[in-house]
Amino acid sequence: MTPLNITHSDTAAGPVLHVTGELDHARATALRQRTERLALRPGQCLTLDLSGLEFCDSTGITALLAARQHALAAHADIVLAAVPPALLRVLTIVGLDQVFTLRPSGKPPVA
Amino acid sequence: MCRTGGVPEPSGTGDEAAMDAAFTALLEDSAEELYESAPCGYLSTLMDGTIARINATLLNWLGLKREAVVGHRHFVDLLTVGGKLYHETHFAPLLRMQGELRGIALEMKTSHGGRLPVLVSSVIKHGSEGEPLLIRTTVFDASDRRAYEEELLRRRQDAERAHAEAERARAEAEQARRQAETDRERLADALAVLQKSLLPDSLPALPGLETAVYYHTASPDQLGGDFYDLFPIDGDRWAFFLGDVCGKGPQAAALTSLTRYTLRAAAHHDPEPDAALSTLNAVLHERYTAGGDPRYCTCLFGILEPGTDGRTTVRLGSGGHPPALLLRADGRAEFLPTPGGLLVGVLPTAPFATATTALAPGDTLLLYTDGLTEARTGPARDDLYGEEALLAFAAAHAPAAPHAVITALTELLEGFGDGPDDDTALLALGVPAPADPATNDPR
Repeated sequence: MTPLNITHSDTAAGPVLHVTGELDHARATALRQRTERLALRPGQCLTLDLSGLEFCDSTGITALLAARQHALAAHADIVLAAVPPALLRVLTIVGLDQVFTLRPSGKPPVA
Repeated sequence: MCRTGGVPEPSGTGDEAAMDAAFTALLEDSAEELYESAPCGYLSTLMDGTIARINATLLNWLGLKREAVVGHRHFVDLLTVGGKLYHETHFAPLLRMQGELRGIALEMKTSHGGRLPVLVSSVIKHGSEGEPLLIRTTVFDASDRRAYEEELLRRRQDAERAHAEAERARAEAEQARRQAETDRERLADALAVLQKSLLPDSLPALPGLETAVYYHTASPDQLGGDFYDLFPIDGDRWAFFLGDVCGKGPQAAALTSLTRYTLRAAAHHDPEPDAALSTLNAVLHERYTAGGDPRYCTCLFGILEPGTDGRTTVRLGSGGHPPALLLRADGRAEFLPTPGGLLVGVLPTAPFATATTALAPGDTLLLYTDGLTEARTGPARDDLYGEEALLAFAAAHAPAAPHAVITALTELLEGFGDGPDDDTALLALGVPAPADPATNDPR
């Protein structure tokens, strides 16, 4: 099993969390806590770069939704970047492809 | 080392003389001296106990003067109260009966108010006619022995206390074990009642329709996150649903319970799939997500309306759930697509996708949770049994009645390694095919 690893970087648009490894029942709490500690300013955009995500189950999806709520509560936006095909398929089945802004690559848009 | 015993040295008369001198010096101790200074107490009394004679050793131990004792005191006067009692009740009667007694433990009192534990032996001296004359008594200081005995006694009491302690601890552990067993049984009973509230005991019989179900929970406490139900909503319509809540264990069970009873109530109010799912969405969002604890479910909700032409109309709504599968009487298998329906409970208001189809005789509709399409088929996490594989499996089995479909899928699931490792629910609804197609008998 690959451990979950979260690295944080800041861009002009807002913070970027690069999430790699497996986001399952045992590890989803780590991502939730990490996003809830993020201080977001109104108008910022939180980017979750999922290019290195190898597995995501329903609790992982819950963590993504919690991150979205945290961003919206701060009047910020949230983007899922480089969503792996398997997760994209699940997001599409459950309709979340319409709820999250999805972006192909982990790079933030040029301001 | 010095030589002992009476064997004379074989050589040298000088040595013999020296030894004789030594013996003589010893023998100079008169019998009187021996009596007075012996390493034990001596005492002679008349038959009534009056002390007639007592040696210096005993007087010294007791701190008494001879003049105060001889002729004035009785033997019992030298004893403690306990010693006196024992003397009167046991010692003296036994002595009179047997003529002698040996090693009796008594306590004497000293002039300083102390107690001297002693071992006493007495013998009665008889006259020529056999009449008792006096009692001779020897007294040994038993302080050390008494201390030793007390130590033994203390040790034994300690051991007994420790044993009693261990016994009590064992009894308490046994009591705790029984209590735990009782608690476990009570919890198991409570759990069984709760489990029953999450799923129907059995599916009701629907006129003109056949139903079959499979349910598996991977949770050790049997509280699954998958749910289904089938129930009448008015004279000739039926509602059904099947879904999957997020999470596991008791919290998932609480969410399942809220979902089931909300959908049941909603179906009676307005059975349109979109309306029932919207009600559920509002309830779950208000209860969980709005409070900062996002919880949700995926769900297919449908209504069955048997028609007059032998076909049953199915109207189905989906909230983020994988599409239902149709096994047609002509051998085709197809998904009933419901794209765009959102997870239930995530947003305050959500879009739900609906679809309509008709079940002709021999058609079967299959609803499933992702325990089927995400069942592990190999060791890696992405070795999953997907929707394409399910469609191919259905096509290979169509046409098939609900029971046959469930039986085939159960065998398929149980063939995956150790069986399904996630909760799995399957619900199949179908219109029975004509009893014997060969006769083409109209139903």
